[in-house]
Amino acid sequence: MLPHSLLLTGLRDLRRRPLQTGLMLLGIALGVAVVIAIDLANTSASRAFRLSTETVVGRATHQVRGGPRGVPGALYRQLRIDWGYRLSAPVVEGVVEAPDLDQQPLRLLGVDPLAEGPFRSYLSDTGGQILGLNRLLVEPGTVLVGAGLAGHYGLETGDSIRLRLADRFDTVTIAGLLQPGEAGNRRALDGLLLADIATAQELMGLAGTNTLSRIDLILTAQEAQRLAGQLPASLRLARASEQAETAAQLTEAFQLNLTALSLLALVVGMFLIYNTVMFSVVQRRRVLGTLRSLGVTGERLFQMIQAETAIVTGLGAVLGLGLGWLLGQGAVRLVTQTINDLYYVVTVRDAPLTLLSAIKGIGVGLGAGAIAALGPALEAANVEPVTLMRRSSLEDRARRWLPWLGGGGLILGLAGTALLLVIQRSLVASFAGLFLIVIGIALTVPLATISLMRLAGPVLFRLTGVLGRLAARTVVKAISRTSVAIAALMVAVSVTIGVSVMIASFRSTVVNWLDLTLVADVYISAPTPGGTRPEATLDPSIAAKAETVAGVAEVEAIRGVVVDSEFGPVPLTATDTQRRRSAALYRFASGDAEAIWRAMTEGAIIVSEPFAYRHNLPVDGATVTLRTATGERVFPVAAVYYDYSSDQGAILMAREVYQRYWRDNHLSGLAVYTRPETDPSQVADALRTVLSGSALQVQVNRALREQALAVFDRTFAITSALRLLAVVVAFIGVLSALMALQIERARELATLQALGLTSGQLWRLTLMETGLMGATAGLLALPTGFVLAVVQIYVINLRSFGWTIQMTVDPWVFVQAMAVSVTAAILAAVYPMWRLRQAPVAAVLKQD
Amino acid sequence: MSSDHVMKTARRCGHHYLKAPLTFLWLGFLAAALIWVFWWATQPPEPTTPPLRLAATGDITGFARAFEPREFAFPRDHGPHLDFQTEWWYYTGNLATASGRHFGYQLTFFRRGLSPTAPERASKFGTNQVYFAHFALTDVGSVSHTSFERFGRGAMALAGAAGEPYMVWIDDWRAEALDAKGEAVRLVAAQDGLALDLTLRAVKPIVAQGDRGLSQKSEQPGNASYYLSFTRLATTGRIALPGQAAVEVSGESWFDHEWSTSALGPGAVGWDWFSLQLSGGQELMYFQIRREDGSLEPVSGGTLVAADGTLQRVSADEVGLEVLDTWRSPTSGAQYPARWRLHLPADSLDLIVEPWIADQELAVSFIYWEGAVRLTGTRHGQPVSGVGYVELTGYAASIAGQF
Repeated sequence: MLPHSLLLTGLRDLRRRPLQTGLMLLGIALGVAVVIAIDLANTSASRAFRLSTETVVGRATHQVRGGPRGVPGALYRQLRIDWGYRLSAPVVEGVVEAPDLDQQPLRLLGVDPLAEGPFRSYLSDTGGQILGLNRLLVEPGTVLVGAGLAGHYGLETGDSIRLRLADRFDTVTIAGLLQPGEAGNRRALDGLLLADIATAQELMGLAGTNTLSRIDLILTAQEAQRLAGQLPASLRLARASEQAETAAQLTEAFQLNLTALSLLALVVGMFLIYNTVMFSVVQRRRVLGTLRSLGVTGERLFQMIQAETAIVTGLGAVLGLGLGWLLGQGAVRLVTQTINDLYYVVTVRDAPLTLLSAIKGIGVGLGAGAIAALGPALEAANVEPVTLMRRSSLEDRARRWLPWLGGGGLILGLAGTALLLVIQRSLVASFAGLFLIVIGIALTVPLATISLMRLAGPVLFRLTGVLGRLAARTVVKAISRTSVAIAALMVAVSVTIGVSVMIASFRSTVVNWLDLTLVADVYISAPTPGGTRPEATLDPSIAAKAETVAGVAEVEAIRGVVVDSEFGPVPLTATDTQRRRSAALYRFASGDAEAIWRAMTEGAIIVSEPFAYRHNLPVDGATVTLRTATGERVFPVAAVYYDYSSDQGAILMAREVYQRYWRDNHLSGLAVYTRPETDPSQVADALRTVLSGSALQVQVNRALREQALAVFDRTFAITSALRLLAVVVAFIGVLSALMALQIERARELATLQALGLTSGQLWRLTLMETGLMGATAGLLALPTGFVLAVVQIYVINLRSFGWTIQMTVDPWVFVQAMAVSVTAAILAAVYPMWRLRQAPVAAVLKQD
Repeated sequence: MSSDHVMKTARRCGHHYLKAPLTFLWLGFLAAALIWVFWWATQPPEPTTPPLRLAATGDITGFARAFEPREFAFPRDHGPHLDFQTEWWYYTGNLATASGRHFGYQLTFFRRGLSPTAPERASKFGTNQVYFAHFALTDVGSVSHTSFERFGRGAMALAGAAGEPYMVWIDDWRAEALDAKGEAVRLVAAQDGLALDLTLRAVKPIVAQGDRGLSQKSEQPGNASYYLSFTRLATTGRIALPGQAAVEVSGESWFDHEWSTSALGPGAVGWDWFSLQLSGGQELMYFQIRREDGSLEPVSGGTLVAADGTLQRVSADEVGLEVLDTWRSPTSGAQYPARWRLHLPADSLDLIVEPWIADQELAVSFIYWEGAVRLTGTRHGQPVSGVGYVELTGYAASIAGQF
């Protein structure tokens, strides 16, 4: 076992260099923090969704679901009494928005409290005392809200909440607060408005048709089979878990992307650990050699280094936990925003640190520490007892290893590429490939650095004289450390390049696409919380109203619904077919735009690119089975169109076809074309006047486009934040590496000074050294970043979301990256230099 | 140093490194600290009493109340009286198979008006009427008592009551008239393999309890119910037990129909209710309302129905009711009377009333004991026997404010 004294020796050494130890601590803390933050954000968003789904689904095993027109209320009675499925409960569910509660989307759940017992616990937790539900049942417009939500906004029983319900505003009154039961979870009730089924029907405009969103059931397998046979063709018996499963699949790729990016920050942090520990080993060679002479075995020294690293990384990881939790609060907001924009509505107010996340974070931190310290610990174990070794022997050995390292890097890079090419559909494999490529390139950094310095040496000599050559040689001389700093900076900067190029390409692709899709002048829709897709149910009469407005040339109705398909629920958009779509919108098409349009009026559908990718639809002759009001129908696919609004895929069909099969003449939005001589914004004003009193949103083309791009930018806010964090970690890495180098070279520099080098010259020397390192990192980051961008655009994004992105490269990105790495390196040199100047030459020289 | 040596060292060192106890101590400490922090952080908050756990609101404004006797018309008055807050239809009976296997059954429908008038609602699900029902079966042979409870809203025909023709139901549990006057009814109830399907025919005319149907529950005017009974209904039908074939049964049932608004006076904590059918053709309904201070409501009393249908009112001071035995429920912990001597000196009636089986407690949303009983004793010196039902409320928790 490792003797106490040995560990204390190690720890004392760490304490003697508080700044370096502190930087290492900070580096690992930041790395762990980023991992934790993303993990917290992801898991809280998922958990919030799972909880709210569980709250809403309850103990139901099955659900009767209808198409866009819901489930007829009369069926509930038939199913419950005539068919005898007594464990059944009617449900009306919808998402509404509370304008006065931070625009918060809330889930309105309408239930029959008297049928709820077997299903959802929050009412039966109240002891079955149905009498207390008086108000909820009797008073129209009353709701129960979660105690958490009420507490957050200071709401009490009797207060009212204003709601935006699709195209109108209404006010509900709080009849009571929902308290989480003994087994319940407080968070599950966040964002929930519970109403009596009658109230919910009235609020959601379903009372007139007596429609339900679904009927929840608890069934045995046999009962389920029997019921499936009894239901009318327009209705479907679905497993209750389906909803949660679909949702989990939806966000899987998005969350995996974030996790991968957060791990990159940790990889950068690993370089930092390696550097710091290696420095401390090199610094202590004398001590280590002495210890060996005193009989301490190499194994013990290995243990000592690993143990002290574990302690520092452990501390760093704990620090990272706290930091990660803080970052997580911000990250969860960004992640939730994106999930709300793109996938489903979920309310998350905070990201509590879970035991699992903490274990993951600490484990990842300690693991990264142990791996990073492996090299230095082996180095320490191999210190020869007698030859109080000089560093040069380490450098000699390091240089002998370089070709192997480079070769290994090449192999890793090739393996990564192969992984990307061979395993076509696995996202995890794609990320593994990406990581292998990045690490492979990082391993070739030492060789590349040496080659670059050989080139730079003579050039600098010509430009600045002997100092320049000295600077280049210094970088090469300490290659075991300089190259690690360069590699860390290179990885961070290349990630920045890769992500920037990807986002910029994506954005320009979306901008082009918006130009093609948003062709009408004014859009009218009921803003649904979060989403940009119109899915509200509006009265068909608004189309006629809009047509009467002066300056309106044509009104195209849009109906957005979710229908059941052979692939599960899928968003379907039905549009009027007066105007042709641009041919450029189609990715694959069987015929010209005219032919596609004709096919659509005859009953064909077109599907979005992510839909075709996700479900592996063939280019020719694909069909999709959809459940219509009269049962399942097979629809031929006429084309695949570009669509960046949803990565779950969508279907487009002609509105007359939709009406024929679903017997639904409601609208979700209108696209208005104005007469050429009119000003669209004036027409929009006139439309607003006509529609005043409703909550409908009238937007001119430009505003809608801006909104779409705002959603896009919001989506990538978290990605940009992560990219920045990786650079911060890398900066700390470079700072710590340079400090180590400068401190190590104190004697050498003092000698130079004693030989007559002025302090100005010393400054120049150091700046040139660090500048060279930064430039090397920047230079190497350019191709690496480009490779990263290519992989992200053509592999990761395609496999994650099924989107085709046109790659556009702005050379400025590379210039910026170069500037960032050189600046970072030079900035990092300032402090060590300043410290160096404090030390009197003689004292430094005397030290040895 | 050869790379071979490096590998060996790495292997050796790695091996030893794992053994380093200090590292493990450190990791262990860290893990323990973390686990503690999370245990602490994830402790659920102190449970709070859900505000919904309130009983009746106590607000009876707008509801009709029972102040004076009224005329009844049938079958209309078998149906609901929606202007009153509370109403129930109580069917109980003692049945037996041809081979003498004895059963007791209870099928009760309750109605609760949440507001005096129904608000205008656009939704067909909208209602101010809540129904609940209890279905219980006592199988004396296997000493078992099974009970079920259902809730239903008085909308969309999910639950409801009607007078013309008479019907009351929740889902597929129902009582429905077989004749125009509602003197013959069919009862149907089934759940989890337990089922009954019975036909009941009144063999004696309807009894208006109390003062011409006005049954006073405290001395304060208005604290009363309208209370009608069929004290003897010839019953035939079938009973099915889980996993067993249905059996033919016959026997006699009792029907109580009662509606009121806040009938109980202040201080009432529960009641003991007896509906007894004597072998000589008489029936006795007797109730006593217990108050917090241990005394009885002075208005407690009952009705003795002679074989020819003549009614004789009895007041509590004419009745001696002595508890001879008690039984403690293992489920609720409540202690119930379990055997009585019921003595009516004026009528020379002296009965021992005892449950067929001890445990006939209903574990539904409010806990009470409702069970089949048998009686032995003398009337005018002649031995009598009989069967009946007893209801005991307020032993597990006060029923104050609930009815």
